[in-house]
Amino acid sequence: MTETAAPIYEVRNVSKNYGSVVALENVSLQIHAGEVIGLVGDNGAGKSTLVKVLSGAHQPDGGQILLDGIERHWHSPHGALQAGIETLYQDSGLAPNLTVSSNVFLGRELKVPGILGRLGFLSQKKMDTVAHEDLDRVGIGVAASDRTVAELSGGQRQAVAIGRAVSWARKVIILDEPTNHLGARQANEVLDVIRVAKAKGLGVIFISHTLPHVLQVTDRIVVLRLGKIVRDAPTSEFDAEKLLGTITGLIGSAPSA
Amino acid sequence: MVKVDTVAAKELTGSGSAGGANRSGATLRRVLVNQQFLLIVVLVAMIAGFSALNENFLSIGTFGNILVQWAPLALLAIGETFVIVSGGIDLSVGSTVTISGVVSAFAMAGLTGAGVPDPVAITIGAVVAAAVGLTVGLVNAALINFAKLVPFVATLATLGAGAGLALVLTKGGPVSGGPPSAIGLANVWLGPFSWPVLIVIVIVVIAGLYLHKSLFGRYTFAIGGNAFAATAAGISVKKHLTKVYALSGLLAGIAGMALYLQLGSGSPSAGAGNELQAIAAVVIGGASLTGGVGRMSGTVLGALILTVVTSGLLVINIDPNWNQVVVAILIAAAVALQALRGVHRRIK
Repeated sequence: MTETAAPIYEVRNVSKNYGSVVALENVSLQIHAGEVIGLVGDNGAGKSTLVKVLSGAHQPDGGQILLDGIERHWHSPHGALQAGIETLYQDSGLAPNLTVSSNVFLGRELKVPGILGRLGFLSQKKMDTVAHEDLDRVGIGVAASDRTVAELSGGQRQAVAIGRAVSWARKVIILDEPTNHLGARQANEVLDVIRVAKAKGLGVIFISHTLPHVLQVTDRIVVLRLGKIVRDAPTSEFDAEKLLGTITGLIGSAPSA
Repeated sequence: MVKVDTVAAKELTGSGSAGGANRSGATLRRVLVNQQFLLIVVLVAMIAGFSALNENFLSIGTFGNILVQWAPLALLAIGETFVIVSGGIDLSVGSTVTISGVVSAFAMAGLTGAGVPDPVAITIGAVVAAAVGLTVGLVNAALINFAKLVPFVATLATLGAGAGLALVLTKGGPVSGGPPSAIGLANVWLGPFSWPVLIVIVIVVIAGLYLHKSLFGRYTFAIGGNAFAATAAGISVKKHLTKVYALSGLLAGIAGMALYLQLGSGSPSAGAGNELQAIAAVVIGGASLTGGVGRMSGTVLGALILTVVTSGLLVINIDPNWNQVVVAILIAAAVALQALRGVHRRIK
C-alpha cells in the first residue's frame, strides 16, 4: 500500500460516549482505496460503535469524518450510502420475504419507464436480471434471483448480503463479522469476495473475531481496546499470537502514528 | 457499478440445496398449502353448503347483498393488510368508521339544514369523512413514531378515544337530518353490483397492484420482514409507516361514509367490532401477524368468506351469534396453517 496516497475515508480524533460510558476516545483511522483493514478488539472495545460512526448510523460526539479529504456529517445511514459507503451490519440480514433480487435492490429499486414508473411501479424483470449479473460479477452464484431469501441457507444469505454491498459500494465497504456462523468453505468464499472488493479499488474494513481470517485477507490491522486504538500496523507485523496478545493487552504496545 | 471480470462465477451452495430431490412432492404440497387455493375451496364449499340448505342462497340478489356487506369490510381489510404486512396492527379502524361517519353526518345535517343542495352536501360529507379518517391514521402514526408506542397500544388508544368521542358527540343516538337523497344513492345497481361495490372493487385492484408491484408495497414488505435491514438499506421507516397508517385511516374514513350511505344516518355504533373483522379477513387471507407476509387477493377472499358466513347463517335461520364461533374457527385454522408452512420456510 502506498502510504503517501491520500486516504479515501478517514476519521480524526473521533469520540463517542453513551451517557458516562466512553465507547470511543480520540480514535483516528485512515482507509485507502484498494486496502483491506482488519478491525479487531475484544467485546466492548468499541468496534461496533466505530462501525456505526463510519456508516452514519451514529453521530460522533467529537472529531471529524472525511471522505476523499472533504469533511462530511452523516445524519443517517442513507447519507453514507449515497456517498458510496456500504455497510454490512452483524446479523442485520436481509428482508426475509423478499426475493434475492429485491434484496439486492432494496432502497434503490428500479422503476418502469414512463407514467407507471412515476406512479411507483417497479421494473422487477430488469432488477432480476441485473441483480443476477451483479452477484455473478462479485463471484456469488445464486441459482435463482426470484427465490425469497427465507428459502436460502445461512451461507447463501450472507453471500447475497455481501454481494449486494460489494456491487453497490463505490468508495468503502464495511463488513461487520461477515464470516460469523459460516462453515469453512463458505467463509473462504466470503474472503474471496473481500479480495474482489479490494481489486475493485474499494477501501474495505473487515471486522472479525476470527483472527486467522483477519491475518489471511487484510493489509493492515487496527486493534481497539477500551475505546482506543492501541495498535495500527501492517498485517505482516503480526502473527496469531502477537495479534491475540495485543487484543487482550498481554502485549503492551504503543499506538503507531 | 464498477466492472470486475476477473472472478469466475461459482456456485455458492453450501447446505442450501435442500430442494431438488423430491420436487414434484414439494410442488404438490405447495399447491395444497397455497392460501389462495384453500380459500377458494373453503368459499366454494360454504356457498355449496348454504345453497344446499336453502336454494334461495344462490341468487343474484343474495350475491349482490353479500357484496354490499363485503365492500366496507374490504376497505378496512385493505388498509389493515398494509399495516399487518408492515409488522404492525391497526385496532382503531372500527371506531374510525364510527367517528368519521358521525362527524360527516353532523356536517351534512348542518349543510342540509342551511339549504345546501344534496349533491354538494354529500360531496362535502364524503370529504369530511375521509379527512377524519386520515387524521386518525396520522395520530396513530405520530403515537407510534414519536411517542414510541407499539402499534397495538397506540391504536388501542385511538380505538377507545374514537368510540368514546362518537358517543359523546351523538349522546348515544343516531345523527339524522342529512341529505334526504343520500339513502337512495348507494342503491343504484349494475347487475349484482351496486356502485359503491364497484368503487371498492376498483380500490381493491389498485391496492393489490400497489402492495405487490410498487415501491410502496416493496418497502412495506421489507419493513415488516426486517425493519433493521430496511433502515440499513436507507429506507426511512418512520416516513413509510406514517403513510401506511394514514392509508388505513383514510380507507376507514371512506368506509364510514359508505356505511352512512347504507344507513342514511350517522350511528355511534356503526363500526363497532369492525376492527376484529378486518384483522380476521387479513389473517384468514394468509398474512402473518409478525409482518412481512400477506397477499391482497387473500385479504379480499378472507373478507368475502366472512361475509358469506354472516349472510349464510342468516339465510339458513341459524342464530347469528354462531357467526363469531365460525369466524373464530376460521382464524384458528388460518394461523395453524401458517405454522404448518413455517416448517418449510424458517425466517431470519
